[in-house]
Amino acid sequence: MTQREALLARAFVDVADTLVADFDVVDFLTVLTTRCVELFELSESALLLVDPPRGLQVAASSSHEMHVLELFEIQHDDGPSVDCYRNGEPVQCDDLRAAVTRWPRFARKALASGWRSAHALPMHLRSELIGALTLLRADPVPLPTTDLVAAQALADVATIGLLQHRAAEEHRLLAEQLQYALHSRVAVEQAKGALAEHTGLDMDSAFSALRRYARNHNLGLVDVAHAVAERQTSLSEIVR
Amino acid sequence: MERIQLRDLMSGLQSDHERGESPGRRLCRACVELIGVSGAGIMIMDDEGNGTSLGVSDDVSGAIEDLQFTFGEGPGIDAHTLGRPVLGPRLDDLDQAQWPTFAPAAVRAGVLAAFSFPLRVGAIRLGALDLYHGRPGDLGATQVADGIAMADLVTQAVITVQEGAGAGDLADEMDNPGDLRTEVHQASGMVSGQLDVSIDAALVRLRAYAYSEGRSINEVARDVVTRQLRFE
Repeated sequence: MTQREALLARAFVDVADTLVADFDVVDFLTVLTTRCVELFELSESALLLVDPPRGLQVAASSSHEMHVLELFEIQHDDGPSVDCYRNGEPVQCDDLRAAVTRWPRFARKALASGWRSAHALPMHLRSELIGALTLLRADPVPLPTTDLVAAQALADVATIGLLQHRAAEEHRLLAEQLQYALHSRVAVEQAKGALAEHTGLDMDSAFSALRRYARNHNLGLVDVAHAVAERQTSLSEIVR
Repeated sequence: MERIQLRDLMSGLQSDHERGESPGRRLCRACVELIGVSGAGIMIMDDEGNGTSLGVSDDVSGAIEDLQFTFGEGPGIDAHTLGRPVLGPRLDDLDQAQWPTFAPAAVRAGVLAAFSFPLRVGAIRLGALDLYHGRPGDLGATQVADGIAMADLVTQAVITVQEGAGAGDLADEMDNPGDLRTEVHQASGMVSGQLDVSIDAALVRLRAYAYSEGRSINEVARDVVTRQLRFE
C-alpha cells in the first residue's frame, strides 16, 4: 500500500467510526476536512450541513479563513457549495477567474485569498440531501477523476455516518422518555397508595385529590406525585 | 427470523391494543414461536432499577417474571445489569449458585431453563427479553442468535410505540395496569405509611413478606390495597 492509499484507508476508518459512545460530530467533520486537504493536495476544504430551521450552516472547515469564506458564501447565496446543495449535483470550476459572472462575490473573495479552483460534492443518501463538501485548490487545474471519486466516496460514507448518528440520538432520546414515563407512572401509583393509607380514601378518590392539588397549585401531577412519594409534601397538605 | 418484520409486529400491536390485549404479549408470543421456547417476558427497568413488565406470552411466564421482581434476582435482571445475554440452561441443578432464591421457585412453577437478552439503545439499558423453557438444556447457536435479534426487534418496537406518546407520557399501547404492577406500587405507598418508612423500604418489606409466605407479590399487594392486610 502506498502512503496515499494508507491515508485514504485511514480516512475511511475515521469516517466509519460514528457509532462509538463518545462520538463528537464537530470533531468528526473537522478531521474529515483536514484529511481531504492532506489526501487531495488541496488548499482548503469545508463541510456545510443543512439544519432545517436555519438552512445551510458551516459544520467544519480546514482553517479559519475558509470558515469565513463559507459563511460569506452562505450569507450571499453565491458560490459552488450553495449551488451544489441547491441542485444536489457536483459543481466543478477549474478556474475561478472565469467564474466572476457566475459567482460575483465568492469568486472575487476566493481569488483574493489565492485560491484558483473549486469543487463541491453533494452529501446525500438516496433522496435525502444533507449538505455539501467543498474543496479549494491554489492551482487552476481540476482534481484528477480518481481523486474526485475518492472524495465523493468519503462524503458518502460521512453522510451515512451522520444519518446513523442522528437516528441513534433519536432512539436514545425516546428510550430516556420511556424510562421517565414509566418512572412517573410508578410515582403516581405510590403517591395514590400513600394518600389512600393516610386518609382512608379509595385509590380513585386519592388520585382525584392529587390531581386537584396539582391543578390548584399550578404543578404537574408527576411532580406532586414525586414530592409525596419522597415525603417532601405532607399528605395532610394534599387533602386540606 | 426473515418471516417476521417489524412492520408486521407494529400493525399487530396496534390491532391487539384495539382489542384490549397487551401489545407486549404479541411480541412475547412471536418470540416463543420463532425461537422455540415455552414462554417469554419483556421487562423494562427504569434508572432506579424498578422493573416493569411490558408483557408475557402466558400465565406461567408472568409468574416467573413476578418471581424475578419479587426476589430482585434472576436472568433478566442480570442481563440488564451486565448488558449481555445471560443463559441459565439448568435451573434444576442444585449446585448452581447463580440465583439461589429465584431458581428453585422457577422450577416449582415448571420452568427449568431461562435465557435473557438485554434490551439496549446505544449506551442506555432498557431491560431484558426473558425466554423460559419447561425442559432443561442449552439453546442452540441459531436460537441464541435469534434471541439477540429478537431483543433488538423488541427494543425497536418499544421505541417506535413510545414515539407516538407525548413527552412525559407513556404510550397508550404500553399502559396496562397489570403489566405496570400498579397495585404493587400502590401497596408500597400504603405500607410506607403503615410502617413510617420510605417507599423503597416498603417495597422491600412487601417482597420479603411475599417470599416468606410463598405467595406472589401481586396477591400480597392486592390484599394490602383492599385493606385485608396491614404491616405494623
